[in-house]
Amino acid sequence: MRQRITFIQEPQNSLDPALLEVTNNFISTPSLYAAREDRVTFGLEELPQELYRVLKASHELHIRWVSQEPYVSIAPLVARLSPGLHVFYTPQRGSNNSAFLCPTLKKVFGEMDCRSPERSFTPLPNERFSLSAASQYYTPLPALSSLITYATHRLCSSKLQKCISRMQSFSHASTLDVDFDTISHALTITAFWAASIQSFHIGGMTHRDRLEVGVLSINQATEPEELSLGGFLTVVGEDKKPKATMFSFPARHHPFASSFAARWLQSTGLHPVLGLEIDDSTRPTDERACSLHTHLTLPRTVFADKYQLSDSLVLASKNLSAIHYSTPAVDLEAPAYTLKTWGSSVLLELAPPSSPGESFTAQIPLHLRFLPPSNGTAGIAKIELPYPVVFWACVADEGSKFPINPFDKVNLGYDGLFGPKTMFYHLIPQGEKLVNTINVPVLDLDQSRYVEMGTAATVVLGFGWVLWCLLGVWKRNGYGSNSNKEREKVVVVDKKEQ
Amino acid sequence: MSKFFSSPLLVFFSAIALRITFLLYGLWQDANSPLKYTDIDYYVFTDASRFITHGHSPYDRETYRYTPLLAWLLLPTTWSSTWFSFGKVLFAIGDIVAGWLIVLVLRRQGMVMSRSLGFASIWLLNPMVATISTRGSSEGLLGVLVVALLWAVLRKRIVLAGVLLGVGVHLKIYPFIYAPSIIWWLDDENLSPGRNEKVQKVQEGDLVSKANAFVNVARVKITVVSLATFMGLNTAMYVKYGWPFIQHTFLHHVTRIDHRHNFSPYNTLLYLNSSISGSSPFCIESLAFIPQLLLSAIVLPLLLAKKDLPSTMLAQTFAFVSFNKVCTSQYFLWYMVFLPFYLPTSSLLQRPYLGISAGVLWVATQGLWLQQGFNLEFLGQSTFVPGLWVSSLMFFLTNMWLLGIIVSDVGSKTSLKPTAES
Repeated sequence: MRQRITFIQEPQNSLDPALLEVTNNFISTPSLYAAREDRVTFGLEELPQELYRVLKASHELHIRWVSQEPYVSIAPLVARLSPGLHVFYTPQRGSNNSAFLCPTLKKVFGEMDCRSPERSFTPLPNERFSLSAASQYYTPLPALSSLITYATHRLCSSKLQKCISRMQSFSHASTLDVDFDTISHALTITAFWAASIQSFHIGGMTHRDRLEVGVLSINQATEPEELSLGGFLTVVGEDKKPKATMFSFPARHHPFASSFAARWLQSTGLHPVLGLEIDDSTRPTDERACSLHTHLTLPRTVFADKYQLSDSLVLASKNLSAIHYSTPAVDLEAPAYTLKTWGSSVLLELAPPSSPGESFTAQIPLHLRFLPPSNGTAGIAKIELPYPVVFWACVADEGSKFPINPFDKVNLGYDGLFGPKTMFYHLIPQGEKLVNTINVPVLDLDQSRYVEMGTAATVVLGFGWVLWCLLGVWKRNGYGSNSNKEREKVVVVDKKEQ
Repeated sequence: MSKFFSSPLLVFFSAIALRITFLLYGLWQDANSPLKYTDIDYYVFTDASRFITHGHSPYDRETYRYTPLLAWLLLPTTWSSTWFSFGKVLFAIGDIVAGWLIVLVLRRQGMVMSRSLGFASIWLLNPMVATISTRGSSEGLLGVLVVALLWAVLRKRIVLAGVLLGVGVHLKIYPFIYAPSIIWWLDDENLSPGRNEKVQKVQEGDLVSKANAFVNVARVKITVVSLATFMGLNTAMYVKYGWPFIQHTFLHHVTRIDHRHNFSPYNTLLYLNSSISGSSPFCIESLAFIPQLLLSAIVLPLLLAKKDLPSTMLAQTFAFVSFNKVCTSQYFLWYMVFLPFYLPTSSLLQRPYLGISAGVLWVATQGLWLQQGFNLEFLGQSTFVPGLWVSSLMFFLTNMWLLGIIVSDVGSKTSLKPTAES
């Protein structure tokens, strides 16, 4: 097991390294104001059997959880996703052993509607050299309580209070990532806590376990593609004192000052409109081609009609400019309860006003599916739609590459839809909770007692009435034509004429 | 007014002008408003045609649930943006041809020109019909096909009738209900009027000679030709497009669970039962096809077809649509095309109070439903029960009352023989 704990600070809060206490086997910090990222890497042999079994069948598995509570991100950890639990998965080639994935996800993260990757996941475009996994799954997940219980029981073997309180700390994490791929053959768990006042004491490491602690703050980078960090790194047990460090790297994800709020512009009826209120249309840079995008994660109860969003007049009237991606084969008619896949994701390009500094609202027309009838709710079901992410995507300079940096994040669902040289400038979501609730009218079971009998009786009544009329016809005139009698007269006349 | 209807030129000119106006207005609205005049289905058809020109299957377009024939027919829409409207023009021409055939059939029944044109105008000058075809919905195409089928049968063009029947069923399934009524109608009496003695003889004969007489050349011919056309088209499409053709053109309509609210009396029940898996072993909705098919494909043809074939086809279609598990206003076009044949001798016209109350009820129950539907769709009110449910049942009962009137009218009708073989 390897651990990396990084505190990231704004320059004005920087910690004096002399205050770091480092001994042979122990490290402690004074109280400091910082965001924190923990990264723990496990060898496969260190994992419980049930996790090992899932990973053995995986070529790639990336789990991304984001809290519904708004949080302040800090460079370089600025990449954003819609709140909830995202799973990006590529099965091992030739392995048809994906059956364990869904049960394990449920066991670790709690109950969710996941049957199997074949049935519940949707495909992602993945070309040969693309960064992204082959399939995607999403479920709303407001809290990590189930994960904390699972981890406390399965990973804290000796019931160490330290381990348990460490697991408890996940309850106020803002994001959690789990990454595995066959090449590294290791499972990495990364958690992020937004900035707060905290202190840190850890020690008693065994020889096999490696712990690296960094206290870093952001510096002004020289190149626009780059981010620069400086501070101190300590490998506990190896270093006698903190080592000063300073490094820059080209980064895929960048912070950006403007912010947005997602609100229902029209929230009644089966065709709600989600508004994205963007407070500032200023581009991140004038030197590169940049365009503003939103990536929506839509649970199966809601969908966007890609055909409606392909008409230029419709797009223009809503401050949108194009639909670049939609999960393939989104059924435009089916009720939610007959679908097996989790839902769909959509990438839309917005049309900001050309003059910088203006605020504007983009409108995203959505459609609700029929939901199962309910009782005790007066025919209303509540569903939650996670905030989308909004970002500027800019083409990086020719030749600039993004080598793997220690804080890089890929497999976010939308990054694979752009070229490998794209930089993302993330807008800050504003709101009390990063979800929007909407009322969906459903069949009220409390009032539906007589539907079956009433329908049957009405149909029988109508059918019976028509049969009664037909019986009258049959009795009076039989099934033949009514013209025989007339014809006889005609024949008589004919004969007379002859 | 009577002067207007005495001139075929004037009536058809108006019908064409109506459609051209709607078509041009539609082009203007589509170019200037995010709200489209063009029907969503038309984008589906034309997208499918584009897939074909690129060597793909039309079923690569989601929600394409029709025969590939339709997408082929609309291939010119892919040539340029001007040609995009080709399909709408084609559907509108279909409307006009259907109207012309209605006039022909009415004239054959001995009706004078101005009266024929007047009744044909129910179709020709109907703004609903003109709107539906110029918006690019293919229902109008069905209209011309089934009227042509009727015309061919009445003119005893048996092979043509067989082909039209086969194509119609391939295109939209439901015209299969016309097969029993047409076959039943094609008796010796209708095939060769005047040869009366044979008819008399058969009526007095035993079962074997009755059966022998039933199997006549025309009946065998239309059965063989229509089946061959239907299966030939299916085989060709299956060979070219495989399973998706069967799945989307036919199976989809059998297995669909489309609960979005519509006029069908079964709608609320379907929504209720589809979501509760296996709650009741006895599913009423799976029995729904029994009254539907019993009426539209068996009893109505058997009792009425020989009395008045065109009006029987109206009654069959009306029954089929009213009892269907899915029913939207486009389906009303299916029976509207037969109204000109039934109305001239209908008690709805002879007894104005009856006719007016029938019309008012039909519109009012539909209006009630539409209002409930609006409250659901746009105001988000849960109007499924009782609103939508009760109004759909009221609409159904109105339809059944109307069907009863139609049945009684047709049943007591003396079949009109052609006055002249011209």
